[in-house]
Amino acid sequence: MEQTRQVTVTQAAAVLVSTIIGVGVLPLPLFAVRAADSGAPLVTFFGMLIAMVGLLLITWLGMRFPDRNIVQYSEAIIGRWLAWIGSGCIIVFFAVLTSLTAREFGEVVVTSVLKTTPVEVTVIVMLVLAAISSRNGITTFAYIHMFYMPLLIGPAILIVALSLKNADILNLEPIWGNERKDMLGGTVTIAALCQGSFILTMVIPAMRRPKKAMRASFWGMLIAGGLYVTIVIATVAVFGAEETKKLLWPTLELAKATSLPANVLERLDAAFLAVWVTAVFSTLLSSYFLTNQAIAFLFRLKDHRMFSIFLLPFVFLMAMFPKNIVQMYGIIMQVGRVGLVLTIAYPGLLLLVAILRKKRGKPLGSSKSG
Amino acid sequence: MPLFRRRNKAINKIPSVNAPIAYMEEHKDAKITGNLKETTDFIIKLLGENGDFLMREFHVFGQYPATMFYFSQMVDPSMLNESILKPLMYTPPHIQTEQLPPERLQDVLLNNALYHSNCQTESLLPSLVKGILRGETIIAVEGLKQAFLIATRQIDKRGIEQPATEQVIRGPREGFVETIGTNLSLIRYRLQSPELRVAQMDIGRKTRSKVAICYMQGLTNPELVDEVNNRLKRIDVDAILDSGYLEQYIEDNQLSPFPQVQYTERPDKVVANLLEGRVAILVDGSPLALIVPTVFNQFYQTVEDYTERYLLMSPIRIVRLVALMFSLIFPSIYVSIISFNPELIPTEFAVAVAGGRAGVPFPAVVEVLIIEISMEVLREATIRLPQQVGGALSIVGVLIIGQAAVSAGFASPITVVIIALTTIGSFATPAYNAALALRLLRFPLMILAGIFGLYGVMIGLILIANHLLSLKSFGVPYLSPLVPGDFQGMKDLLIRGPLWWSNKRPSFLYPLDRTRNSGQSSTSTHEQSENALDPAKFQGGKEKS
Repeated sequence: MEQTRQVTVTQAAAVLVSTIIGVGVLPLPLFAVRAADSGAPLVTFFGMLIAMVGLLLITWLGMRFPDRNIVQYSEAIIGRWLAWIGSGCIIVFFAVLTSLTAREFGEVVVTSVLKTTPVEVTVIVMLVLAAISSRNGITTFAYIHMFYMPLLIGPAILIVALSLKNADILNLEPIWGNERKDMLGGTVTIAALCQGSFILTMVIPAMRRPKKAMRASFWGMLIAGGLYVTIVIATVAVFGAEETKKLLWPTLELAKATSLPANVLERLDAAFLAVWVTAVFSTLLSSYFLTNQAIAFLFRLKDHRMFSIFLLPFVFLMAMFPKNIVQMYGIIMQVGRVGLVLTIAYPGLLLLVAILRKKRGKPLGSSKSG
Repeated sequence: MPLFRRRNKAINKIPSVNAPIAYMEEHKDAKITGNLKETTDFIIKLLGENGDFLMREFHVFGQYPATMFYFSQMVDPSMLNESILKPLMYTPPHIQTEQLPPERLQDVLLNNALYHSNCQTESLLPSLVKGILRGETIIAVEGLKQAFLIATRQIDKRGIEQPATEQVIRGPREGFVETIGTNLSLIRYRLQSPELRVAQMDIGRKTRSKVAICYMQGLTNPELVDEVNNRLKRIDVDAILDSGYLEQYIEDNQLSPFPQVQYTERPDKVVANLLEGRVAILVDGSPLALIVPTVFNQFYQTVEDYTERYLLMSPIRIVRLVALMFSLIFPSIYVSIISFNPELIPTEFAVAVAGGRAGVPFPAVVEVLIIEISMEVLREATIRLPQQVGGALSIVGVLIIGQAAVSAGFASPITVVIIALTTIGSFATPAYNAALALRLLRFPLMILAGIFGLYGVMIGLILIANHLLSLKSFGVPYLSPLVPGDFQGMKDLLIRGPLWWSNKRPSFLYPLDRTRNSGQSSTSTHEQSENALDPAKFQGGKEKS
């Protein structure tokens, strides 16, 4: 398999940013507001902190084994069979995550733009797109993320900036929130939106200088987290907490409520959604790629391409499992919480054992020749 | 006509062989024996049947029998008469030529008699035949074990003209012609440096086309030169009639619609690219040089970007980029907005569009597809027609058909506007092959737009972008220097940075010598510039005198 060290720090950060920013941004303010009313930005911030901790664990672990990915070093740390179970869980989890992301976006598209198109079609189109693109090597994968990152940040910033004229600072007060019903639950849910950052475990072995992985994860999380918090602030400032609770995808409503100056486009939601396809695609690509690569490494395959198509029907069937949007979001929350255990506790455990058993990967000098 | 009679007699006597190539293979190592008759027979067997093949028997210095072979239409006859036949027939006054032994005779002929600069000796018979085919003249002398190959080729060629496809307002007016020699001289003339290397090889089993690989020794990455050589060596076909054939054999991805090799007919462009660390490939018989490796941004850059001032050319380059995007996505965006999201456009305009479309029976996608396809037909017809008719046709096509289609209720006026903009946009792209790729890709985009609206357009664009991102030309990522990011290169990506600003060669080509200029040589660095003709200075001087 192609294992050239070509990914730069910027590209690794771009991978993180465009992976984390995805379809989750659309319902994000709703989750936050449900947890703590006007304290939503704060909840988001805490969520980001948790995600940051998880990411730091992964990065630390990855830097300990700079030439191996999680499937490979988990075998070295906790033994072959336990590692098989762990990696298997990760594969299944990310396959599920992929399917849920595709389904969620399929629902968004069907609900707001293509009202007569069956949801199956939009889901399968997204999945096929991800499957085709995940056949590329890790270098191209990093290029793709690098290329799309400005396309995610640009429109999001634009929407936020344009919505500011309708914003009311009063809506954000008190910043601690009036009724903090489920502060912890909300924090966890929001942290779960960043699970895509687990892709870093696959990127580190391809990085030119794995020593700088920490910088990449810091900047990646800072940009993505900053955008998350900004969007929540903007939404709550425009709609107010109570209004936001009634909206299914508040970020999309935010786009609907804004219009470009000079009346170029009357409404922005369809355009925003169109551009947001790239964001969803990059998230989907990451989780699909991760699943695909993990399978390839688990079974020690030479070529990961075969599996990308083979995986498609399974992911599609899982995506079609939830009966409606309500059930889907229920599942997303459940899966997200399970996922947090998997993406934070499991690497944490690995790291702990690695430190205790003094396991460490080869320093990079030997593998730099390639 | 004793000459012709003799020739005919000789030819009639010896039957020509049926399989010349096989015969030559068979006698691959056949050498000249010194017996003139045998040499003559061998050549006549292979070439004797041709009407334009000539054989002339004569006596060197009036005593040694010799024969001259050539293709009558490929050589310069006056050169043959004046500087070859005449000195060979006349005995040079200062040299004793009676009863020379063969070795001495060859020396005298080569060093004292022949008035020609490019003259070689050759002992293999098949090489003689190849030489004749190239347009050289062969002289075989009785008793000598080597024959003379004299470069007498003269092929009629077209004069150097202004490049037809890459015209500039400011910049050199020369374009390549078909003969490789002239083209190489045009490059050497612009690049008078010992670093310029030209490696030659023959490709094509039948055409034996000369291919020249030009690069800068000590600047171009040697790995790139090796790879180009390897790819060219692997080609085994019978004919290379144009550099376009070569392109298809050496490109990285044959299935991609995007060109991975750039072609140009401008020597100055070739030189500029050589100096960046690229390799140029020229083919005899083709006025288009190939340049590798190629990245996407080369397709919207022109020579003029660099000859005109940067402040003016930077926006023009952006305009070109906009045109490129127009030609790809304009019709599909139109289709998806009209048929899926009319709420995006301002209400007044939406009303106007709806009014225009009121009488049109088809859905927007069908309407746009019909007009687009007829536009392509029109464009193809204009290219194929003789020039005098072409102009008339395009006027008829665009004005009359467009107008008639609208008034017949066949298309809405907005559609015609959109299609016109798209077509003009694709004309503004300097590279024809890149414009062609985008032109074709807009059809699948339109169909996607007809099915999924803006969502479909985005899906299509993502597919195209991912393909571009995975594409490589000789290992260089196709979208360099945008992805992977390279700040130095970005100075010449969207805008054209000032010349002194981009003082490094593109890093993605890994040149051995990265520095292009010192960054100090412009007056814009301000320190040294002096107001030589400052009025204050001179008025002061007048008062003093």
